[in-house]
Amino acid sequence: MSATEAVTPSTGAAGGRSRLARGALAAAAIFYVALLLLLPLIGIVTKAFQPGVSIIGDTLSRPDVQHAFLLTGIITVITVVVTTFFGLVVAWVLVRQRFFGRSLMNAVVDLPFALSPVTVGLAAILLFGTGGWFTDFVTARGIQVLFALPSMVLVTIFICIPFTIREVVPVLEEFGLDEEDASRTLGASIWQTFRRVTLPNIRWALLYGVALSTARSIGEIGAVLIVSGTISGKTETATIYIFSGLEERLEAQAHVVALVLATVSIVLLIGIEWLHRRNELARSNT
Amino acid sequence: MLLSFKPARLAALFVAPILALSACGSGTNADGTTTCNGLPDQPTLSFAAYSTPREAYGKIISAFKSKWKDEHNDQEVIFQESYDGSTLQASRVVSGYEADVVALSLGPDVDQIADAGLITHDWTKEADGGMVTTSVVVFDVRPGNPLGIKDWNDLAKPGVEVLTPDPASSGGARWNLVSAWGSALRGYGGVTRGDEAGATTLMQGVLGNVLAYDSSARKSIQNFEDGNGDVAITYENEVITAQAAGKEDEAVYPPSSVLIENPVTVVDKNVDKHCVREVAEAFVEYLHGDEAKQIFADAGYRSTDLATAQKGGGDFPAIEDLWDVDEFGGWDALTTKLFSDTGIVTQAQAG
Amino acid sequence: MSDAAQTLSGRSTARWAPHRTAAVLRHLGLRGAAIVYLGAMVAVPVAAIVTNGFGDGLTSFRTALAIPYAWTAIRLTLITSAAATVINAVMGTLIAWILVRYRFPGRRVLSSVVDLPMAIPTLVTGLMILTLYGPNAPIGKFLDRFGIQVAFTWVGILLALCVVTLPLVVRQVQPVLLELDPAEEEAAATLGAGAWLSFRKVVLPAVRPAIVGGALLTFARCIGEFGSVVLVSGNIAGKTLTAPVFIYQLANQFRSAEAAAIATLMFTISFVLVLVTARVTRRVEV
Repeated sequence: MSATEAVTPSTGAAGGRSRLARGALAAAAIFYVALLLLLPLIGIVTKAFQPGVSIIGDTLSRPDVQHAFLLTGIITVITVVVTTFFGLVVAWVLVRQRFFGRSLMNAVVDLPFALSPVTVGLAAILLFGTGGWFTDFVTARGIQVLFALPSMVLVTIFICIPFTIREVVPVLEEFGLDEEDASRTLGASIWQTFRRVTLPNIRWALLYGVALSTARSIGEIGAVLIVSGTISGKTETATIYIFSGLEERLEAQAHVVALVLATVSIVLLIGIEWLHRRNELARSNT
Repeated sequence: MLLSFKPARLAALFVAPILALSACGSGTNADGTTTCNGLPDQPTLSFAAYSTPREAYGKIISAFKSKWKDEHNDQEVIFQESYDGSTLQASRVVSGYEADVVALSLGPDVDQIADAGLITHDWTKEADGGMVTTSVVVFDVRPGNPLGIKDWNDLAKPGVEVLTPDPASSGGARWNLVSAWGSALRGYGGVTRGDEAGATTLMQGVLGNVLAYDSSARKSIQNFEDGNGDVAITYENEVITAQAAGKEDEAVYPPSSVLIENPVTVVDKNVDKHCVREVAEAFVEYLHGDEAKQIFADAGYRSTDLATAQKGGGDFPAIEDLWDVDEFGGWDALTTKLFSDTGIVTQAQAG
Repeated sequence: MSDAAQTLSGRSTARWAPHRTAAVLRHLGLRGAAIVYLGAMVAVPVAAIVTNGFGDGLTSFRTALAIPYAWTAIRLTLITSAAATVINAVMGTLIAWILVRYRFPGRRVLSSVVDLPMAIPTLVTGLMILTLYGPNAPIGKFLDRFGIQVAFTWVGILLALCVVTLPLVVRQVQPVLLELDPAEEEAAATLGAGAWLSFRKVVLPAVRPAIVGGALLTFARCIGEFGSVVLVSGNIAGKTLTAPVFIYQLANQFRSAEAAAIATLMFTISFVLVLVTARVTRRVEV
């Protein structure tokens, strides 16, 4: 039973005083959120439109801006696909299998949350930069990793690894085992069982993880900044464009791109909220 | 450890597009060298420069692209530009950033790339000694120069907050500090001519007042514009660029300055790999030409001829005492003296 | 899983023999894939950081920490993170409380706004803060009159950290509050306990693990925060330079060993915290 009703005395002087207290608490919380989030959000809308509405069209028609959005999109898609697929594999292995080293694997999944994104970028340099562990291997094959797309994708994947896994694992833990066993005994193949039984169970958790990974990939700055080399038209993501734009005395353009990202985030947020609710509902209903 | 097919197949599926997107055209031989069949249809030139000349190069690159288009059957050249601290860029090129043309702040950064085997010709033998622009060191002060700053000893006074970039990553920083050192030794900044001990004390005084070492000259001046510090040591052309962008920066010219000379050259290994040597060399040649010189001049850069640079003219004040690094044994000697592990600057930064 | 299937099929185990080999292969194959994925994408980069940090024993550490403002940066990071954690532990609990217990127009909207930092890029958050609290911005100019400077000071850092980690405690506490049985609080009320006493003695013990878990997550997040802090703080060494930005600067200059040393130090702190959090929050999710 969820306590969504207000639980306070509602009569007499105690009621009046508590109503005041309640009001004050609510006001404090709302004020805090407004100061931290709502007002700055309004601030960036205002700042972006300061030079006039035409700045939007002017910015979005620049080829380097368009390429920045495209690059963010490419990195995000690859990251989400990889982390979702392999995240499912890992989640499955963690929940449905018993083996020596399972808790170690569990801990490794949490590692990306413990690292600052700049550390991830540093790792890429240590692996693929001068004297790096894999430098000779990739140079011999003519593959450019640093200051090019591959390193940017790799660091973003690292950062997004835990999302899918952490959302799917609790759902897999709570239900599905009996149904899956029943399905297998009745003769269904592994793939059929997965598609017909498991997937519907974890559907909302999976999508929720996808939404979180998407938001995180779009917003990544620390790691990609180190590995990208900020080559305009080649290795500038939308966030890097903002970062460089502020340096290039292209502040107006930077604010427009920031506004676009903020808008995309809000849309994504609505999706995240909805999926989160569906996920919670699904978990509490079964 | 057996791998079931699905994960391996999918792994290959996502690796392939990454490789495809990162590879560049042209045929690669077994030994890694490339055979070029002339220029690609749409040649892409990767251009790495130091942090401050981006506005100037923006204009020059547009002009060059139009000229090339007119002279080569409407062929479109794509430029991929990157601007950051000079030494940072050099390190990146050495670490695998495949820049075709580099425009850096000072010779030693180009030498760093040459030492790594990426530049195989003697870039100093090119036109103007390989340099395309010059500038002088100035003090960027608050409007009206409230602290009455005139020379280097004013920066060493107690309580003055100084901004300069970090010599480890920015070429501009090294120019700044070499200028301080050289000016002092030449009898300016309140130091007797030839007095090394006095010059050292002056350097330590200035460095002790540094508020922050930003990683590039551009970041340093923007830090100053954000309201931090009392004075920023920077390039003359940076202040002019800032003023053109409507900022309140004001330049004070110390009487003595080093002649800042900025090199540009083609990175042999990369142009041959990307098969864009023809365009790259044409671009560098263009930079030494009259059209480019005019654009540079309009953007606040001085002439590559020392006498002309010293005289100034127009918006460029004459410099009382203008000298180049050879006066003090060139970059090798200066780097040892100032920026090595036992160098004056390094010691002052650590202390 | 395969055991259950075998038991259920009873005497048909013989019939499963060829399928059993395939099942075992698949079993191991999935586990292998998970190990390779996590090994290559997580373990290897982390190993690169730690081995480079400790490469020549403690030499890199000492060199890195000998840089004049290194310790200041680490101290600043830890102190501002701790402060932000305390603030958001309190405010986060408060916000969770009013979201769960109160009914008011716009409650859903508030809930979504609180989650905004999960979706919005940290760089955009930093920019948002600057547009409002920067030196030439409305609130910034207003506060300047009282001598309070937000941008390019520790205040700005604290503000950025609070914004970015706002949802973390809220999301840990909210589900716990939802599942709390109001009967106990009602009993306390009938026995004459005031709202605050009832909260302290009845509610707080129940949500304490969630608050602690959220607080640890917040702290771990704060000490690695880059995107918002790099814009808002001004990165003045010895004054407002934080550890992540310091690592970024070192990595950018290819001073990898020193960067790795500092990174290892920070990562150890947050990894320990993330592990502890995992234990704590798992106990909560009954």
